[in-house]
Amino acid sequence: MSDTPAELHSSLFDGRQARPVPVRLTLIDGALLIQGDGVALQFPERQVRWPERQRHGARIAYLPDGSTLQHADGPQWDAWARANGHREGHVVDWMQSWRKALAASVLLVAASVATWMWGVPLASHAALAFIPQRVDASVGEQAIQSFEQSMLLPSKLSPAEQAAIRERFEQAVQRAYPNGSAPHWQLYFRTSKNGAIGPNAFALPGGHMVLTDEMVALLKDRPDTLVGVLAHELGHVQHRHGMQMVVQTSLLSGMSALVLGDVSGLVAIVPVVLAQSAYSRDAEHQADEEAARALKAAGVPPAVMVELFERIAAERERQHKDGSLGNLPIALADHPADADRIAFFRNYR
Amino acid sequence: MQTEPGPWPTEFPPTEILAPSAPHDLSIRFTGSGSEYFRIWIVNLLLTLVTLSLYLPFAKARRLAYFQGNTLVGGHALGFHGDPWKMFRGYLLVLALGITYSVASRLSTTAALVAVGALAAVWPALWRASLQFRTANTSWRGLRFRFKGSLNDAYNAMLPAFLPAVLMVVLGLNEASRATAGAVPDVAGATAERMGLWVGLITLGALAAAPWLVARIKRYQHGHYAYASEQTQLTASTGAFYGLSFKLMGVSILTMLGAVVIAMGLAIAVRGLAVLQSVFSGGGMGAGAGAAVAMAIFVGVAAFYLAMFAVPGPYLTSRFQNLLWGGTRSPRMRFRSDLRLWPLAKVTIVNLLLTIITLGLYRPFAAVATARVRLHAVSLQVDGNLDNWVSTENARMDDAAGDLAGDFFGIDLGL
Repeated sequence: MSDTPAELHSSLFDGRQARPVPVRLTLIDGALLIQGDGVALQFPERQVRWPERQRHGARIAYLPDGSTLQHADGPQWDAWARANGHREGHVVDWMQSWRKALAASVLLVAASVATWMWGVPLASHAALAFIPQRVDASVGEQAIQSFEQSMLLPSKLSPAEQAAIRERFEQAVQRAYPNGSAPHWQLYFRTSKNGAIGPNAFALPGGHMVLTDEMVALLKDRPDTLVGVLAHELGHVQHRHGMQMVVQTSLLSGMSALVLGDVSGLVAIVPVVLAQSAYSRDAEHQADEEAARALKAAGVPPAVMVELFERIAAERERQHKDGSLGNLPIALADHPADADRIAFFRNYR
Repeated sequence: MQTEPGPWPTEFPPTEILAPSAPHDLSIRFTGSGSEYFRIWIVNLLLTLVTLSLYLPFAKARRLAYFQGNTLVGGHALGFHGDPWKMFRGYLLVLALGITYSVASRLSTTAALVAVGALAAVWPALWRASLQFRTANTSWRGLRFRFKGSLNDAYNAMLPAFLPAVLMVVLGLNEASRATAGAVPDVAGATAERMGLWVGLITLGALAAAPWLVARIKRYQHGHYAYASEQTQLTASTGAFYGLSFKLMGVSILTMLGAVVIAMGLAIAVRGLAVLQSVFSGGGMGAGAGAAVAMAIFVGVAAFYLAMFAVPGPYLTSRFQNLLWGGTRSPRMRFRSDLRLWPLAKVTIVNLLLTIITLGLYRPFAAVATARVRLHAVSLQVDGNLDNWVSTENARMDDAAGDLAGDFFGIDLGL
């Protein structure tokens, strides 16, 4: 410290002429003194925007009157400023130390994981609270219309069959959601064009629930299981999972673009897709809980749902043998491992 | 004038000894280091993440200060004058707009159309504000740059670019009203055919006009940078932009052909190896061969993508930079840009591979490497003694919303 002179020879640009003026700088008691040929300036240290300490590059200090001090030898400037009592910000210190920067990398990974696991779901929950239900309704309305046009046909079930299923489900809903606490729902009996989505059921925002004829056929002799399937979909409606997906996708794609944006648009999509399937597992589990609760309230052991998984698995096996691959039910493709879900329904108390 | 004895910073070139009007070349150097920028970047990123992106403007100010402070033009660094707190206010505004737009566009088509329309309407103004902010907050030898393009000219330059989109919307609305007026099922096929024809024509027209549109926009941008009493103009002709497009097309087609040949060669080689192996192991063409074919396809496709990324992309970047900056000049200043394809392609490929391998951690090194190769290709020729140049007006530009809008929506200075 003692071999660092208190005075630094540097250059001043007045902001009006492109000529460097040689000056001597001193830093005393929180004041910056600038002296040179015809120059005598003094500024409180706080009012000067100081350059941050770095290994490379020139140092430019921005003075309140619009002029700048420019110093080509960065380390020399840094040593002078430090020796004369200039305090730098914590962030600068942090960025100049490899150890701390590496610690920051570890923290960054931890923060990313935490954001993924808790941050995004929490934030989307909070955001959902601010989105009125009628938004769900209008989103759902558009979604169901586009599904109807692109992949659905009217059901081939007789009105009596439809009414029976509907009535059984309504009774279960009344028991599971007493005093009309159930979310608004609307059930559509449909069949898919070319059997594209196979035995399936899905829920859209706003309570639109679609049940395919193939699913009804699959569970023809198991009406209770079918009630469980519908209760599962109602669980999605109750927790507004569709809207949650919309919010989460927006959040994640924004964050991912922030981090990986200039690398490639394609690379930035990867975390979004990965996270979506992780979140959808949580959503499926939540919906399963609602289904089990509804079945129990209706006096049916939730274990009846096991039959669904076994039949779906058998169906999958059959299609695999037929070679008609790619016909897997969409909604089931990213459901959690069947074994976990079977265990859940079997052990539900 | 120099009465001060003792150790004097010698890094500044002794401009005084030059003849007053002799043209002299100023080299442009970039002194940033990847490892240092990595530390800046990682801390910025962490702070941005834990503050739910609110730290972004501060991170951006630091990044710009680092890159500009390490860009030496004739030995003098570029200054960055942006006030992070003002940029923060601008960021909040843009964030609110962005969230509204993102939510609206997902919720309803009408809302999305209205939002896009509104954004398009203010887009040229945002663009100009962003250019103004960036130039006014950049200084060299203590003098701030300025951007002198008028609002009217910004709209003039950009409006033709909106024409294809407007035509598409008009076409869509027209067809929609026809469909509701009298929907005859038989005509559906004919309607689709007519629509297809129109969409094709509009797309073709837009493609044919694209170089002209880009030239128009760049002429506005590079025709209004100002420093001291100088104002730049872009001397590159529209024909040069068309020439570059044709060359780019040629390079793309050649690369594609070359990549297909290489990919097929690789695929055949891998498959041949697999067949040999199955023959020697005595088995038939079983699962092993199937996996080998899949592998061969994967390798071929990967090689194809890499080639397309490695050649036409850097080709366009380098030639475009040379066209733009080589054609940018003012009465007493001339830029020259001689960015070669191979150095840039090498940096691009290395950046891509290492960024993927390190899961993004190489990005700051990549940014520094790219800046270095692009900036070192540029030089500036100046007439006369810069010491005597004087700023004609006191430029202060504090509209940070414009800058962040530009950054947010993907516009930057192009160098």
